[in-house]
Amino acid sequence: MSAPFLWILLPLFISGFLLFLRAERTILILGLATSILLTVLALIVPINEALLIGPFSFKLEGSLSIFGRSLTFAKADGSLLALNYGLATVWFLGAEPLGLTRRLVPAGLATLALLIASTAVQPFLYAALLIEVAILLAVPMLLPLNQPPGRGLKLFLIYQTLAMPFILFAGWILAGVESSPGDAALTTQATAMLAVGFAFLLGTFPLYVWIPALMEEVHTYPASFLLWILPQTTLFFLMNFINRYIFLRVSPDLFELLRAMGLVMIVTAGLWAAFQTNLGRMFGYFIAAETGLLLTALSLGTSTGVQAAFLQLIPRGLTILIWALCLSLLRAQVDTPRFSQIQGAMRIVPFAVSGLVLAGLTVAGFPLLAEFPSRLLIMEELASTSLEQLLALLVGILGLLAGTIRTLAVSVMAPPESPWESRESRVQAVFILSGAIALLLLGLFPQAMHPLVENLSLLYEHIGQ
Amino acid sequence: MFILITTLFLFLTALALMVLHVTRPGFRYGWLAAMGGAFLAWISVLLWQMFMPIELNLPAWEPALFRDAPSFAADRLAWPYAFGLASFVLAFLLRAVALAEVPDLPGWAGVLALTAFGILAVLANNPLTLALVWAALDITELAAQIRAVQGERANEQVVSFFAARAAGIVILILAGMVSLSSGSALDFQTVHPNVTLLLILAAGIRLSLAPLLVSPTAAAGHEFNLALQLTGTAASLVLLARTPAQAAQSPLTPFLLLVTAGAALYGSLQWIRATEESRARPFWMITISSLAVACALRGNPVGSVAWGVALVFTGGALFLSGAQNKTILRILLVFGVWGLSSLPFSPTASVWQSSAPPAWADWIALPALLVAQAMLIAGFIRRATLASNIESPESQPGWAKNIRPIGVGLLLLGLLLLGFFGWDGSLTIGSPLASVTAGALAAALYWLRPRLAFLNPVRAHWVQPANAPRPNLFTDTLQGWSRQSGRFSHFLAALLEGEGGILWALLFLVLFLSLLSTGTQP
Repeated sequence: MSAPFLWILLPLFISGFLLFLRAERTILILGLATSILLTVLALIVPINEALLIGPFSFKLEGSLSIFGRSLTFAKADGSLLALNYGLATVWFLGAEPLGLTRRLVPAGLATLALLIASTAVQPFLYAALLIEVAILLAVPMLLPLNQPPGRGLKLFLIYQTLAMPFILFAGWILAGVESSPGDAALTTQATAMLAVGFAFLLGTFPLYVWIPALMEEVHTYPASFLLWILPQTTLFFLMNFINRYIFLRVSPDLFELLRAMGLVMIVTAGLWAAFQTNLGRMFGYFIAAETGLLLTALSLGTSTGVQAAFLQLIPRGLTILIWALCLSLLRAQVDTPRFSQIQGAMRIVPFAVSGLVLAGLTVAGFPLLAEFPSRLLIMEELASTSLEQLLALLVGILGLLAGTIRTLAVSVMAPPESPWESRESRVQAVFILSGAIALLLLGLFPQAMHPLVENLSLLYEHIGQ
Repeated sequence: MFILITTLFLFLTALALMVLHVTRPGFRYGWLAAMGGAFLAWISVLLWQMFMPIELNLPAWEPALFRDAPSFAADRLAWPYAFGLASFVLAFLLRAVALAEVPDLPGWAGVLALTAFGILAVLANNPLTLALVWAALDITELAAQIRAVQGERANEQVVSFFAARAAGIVILILAGMVSLSSGSALDFQTVHPNVTLLLILAAGIRLSLAPLLVSPTAAAGHEFNLALQLTGTAASLVLLARTPAQAAQSPLTPFLLLVTAGAALYGSLQWIRATEESRARPFWMITISSLAVACALRGNPVGSVAWGVALVFTGGALFLSGAQNKTILRILLVFGVWGLSSLPFSPTASVWQSSAPPAWADWIALPALLVAQAMLIAGFIRRATLASNIESPESQPGWAKNIRPIGVGLLLLGLLLLGFFGWDGSLTIGSPLASVTAGALAAALYWLRPRLAFLNPVRAHWVQPANAPRPNLFTDTLQGWSRQSGRFSHFLAALLEGEGGILWALLFLVLFLSLLSTGTQP
């Protein structure tokens, strides 16, 4: 058996099978069993190394050839697989109390498998195509079949699809660069093509406008699932490029460009979030700022920057999950999640609003919460290089903080003598509470994530050298 | 280890009380557990003196790229605060136990946990740790306040309070980054002169701006709020003690000193005028905090510890005294005035010392600060004498009357002793001229208070009521600006998401790339 079969093809087959099932409970159990099994296997079975179990020896091959292309995993990929499938398990679990199992689990499993394939495919340029397929597969997850697509979904498809020609064209030029590495014009063209392609794919400013629009018009939970996994995978794709081509990783201009893109994303998304009155859209801006932070961490071009990006992965996944769940619960109580509608909501859905605020504070890098350690690393690195850039980052973070505090202010403004009640179910409350405790524990003891993320830097060992 | 033991006493007692509350509602001996935990914590803080300095280092953060790890240290500057908080919680529980008809186990658990956080905050050994504990305190406080207050306005003010406190944390983090950009990581042992003002600003915002935003009505009737206020203020004041004396070298210092003096004057004036305790208490905090900030700005960070001690011990004794017998009130009056007087060998004797060269602002700020101190003392005398008229001690059982003075006595005794050997900077003659001036002014103000209208809080009934909404130029301007910015951001979002959005986005992208390529060309 090979690792790509186990972590790519098997979940794809299972997701296809799940599409034909009707019972939500069965879909959930099978989906959860698959993701838990794949997480545990990723944690305990080494890739490309013999595993001795008593008298038996077993080796999981790291490569699988399909149509002349190969899907390849290294030993260090185990952490990434465990992280993705582990978090997906929690996402699937959260879908159940919202009644979204049928919509999320099959499509989510397929999307995840394809996006994981995009990090493993060789030649890695094919990753762009796999990402595009994953995007198209995600559409039924975002929108029920009987509902016409809105502006946000159209923008999402247009912007993501526009990235493909640029990335593929860049790959074509890069083949030329490999044969004549001294050609400066060629390398400049390749860099420019890549920059534009990734600007679309990652949704840099102003190309992330589809994110808030999408969050406003489709169900929060599946959209958030997509926005958790897509930018993260795209970032790994970008890191593959940088790691592979020496002219890219020694280019200070590229890292300057990435940093400028990241910081502009954080500042603009932060400011937009600060003035936003629709929680769905605000969440979109928060996710855009998160991607900006990942880019900024990568743009530092140092091992600290790479570590900061990896340290952000688990808290980011958890935060988006908690926010998505809480916002979905809040949406169930109001027509639209506008400030005018959610006034005093703290007294009706206290767990959901508290979770929402805690998630917002986490994204803003509030101390004690899970994303603070990675923010601290990024800020320290920026402070050592440029105080102006650090201040720009702080402006964005203040915007996110302002958005969160405004949300809190509106949701607690209940009329006098309003009674406290909790319309969340016990399962939902426990789910949110567990997430909140996890955010606090990871903020206080980030070393708990270290065993899982320390191997990831081996995948991109050339960056920051 | 000792730090861990003390905080564990508090946290575990709080946990035990909550477990009792859930598993055995109406359990009658909860007070014994609460008192036992608080007493053990108090004793353990006293014992620290034998082993100081004490350190507690939590496991280092990984990857090993973080410059700091959470770390706590009990030294001569932090100990008075820790001792003050431990004494306060003991006194608080003595009072609460004596007064409560039904044991308020969750409330007591909250105060114990809050005190544990407060002690951890004053012991923070680096800015990272302080930021973490401040955040824990602020989130706890926010949750407690939101649960307690009623009404839109009160809730809004609670959130504003949290926002001001969060701003203090952001400035503390910024100070760390500015220090790093100057070439040295920020720690409390070697503070870079560039960041001293930022540290004072961080503490100042938490100390002065935050209490100003608290609605007296929001706090009214909640004893828990007293513990919140004192703990939060002490946890912020400790930062001032860590600033170096070079703060006075900055060109911004005189201006900040003037602002601080203004805040002290405003706070003390409101303190002397206020009639209800819940309305007066935030101004007690603001006045003392401003005086402490002024000490730090005048290059006397140790002086801020003196004000911190006065805040916790004198304030704790005053606000917990309630209706006591007249002997206790007289003792409170004498000890309290002694604690605030800055007379030689009093706890506040060192507050008027300064290592900074005289500046032009001193000529304006110093008299204002002296007047503020005088109003603080005059207001204290008034409140201490007023207390005996509020409740009748006869309405309480005999044992309660006997227990309650012990708590207040504990605080007053602590205040007296700290003046002699509390920290490096106590047991000093200080500045007798300033203290005598403040004392004389206080006496004059106390005599003048009923005779001067602006010191008299009583309003005629036809005058605008105190709680009527008043136009606020600052808030209105801010809201107007926010509305305009919001409209612009919505317009921009609509533009980019509209029919021509893709073209606009491409135009922006090309513009952005061309700007960057121009910027990177040699």
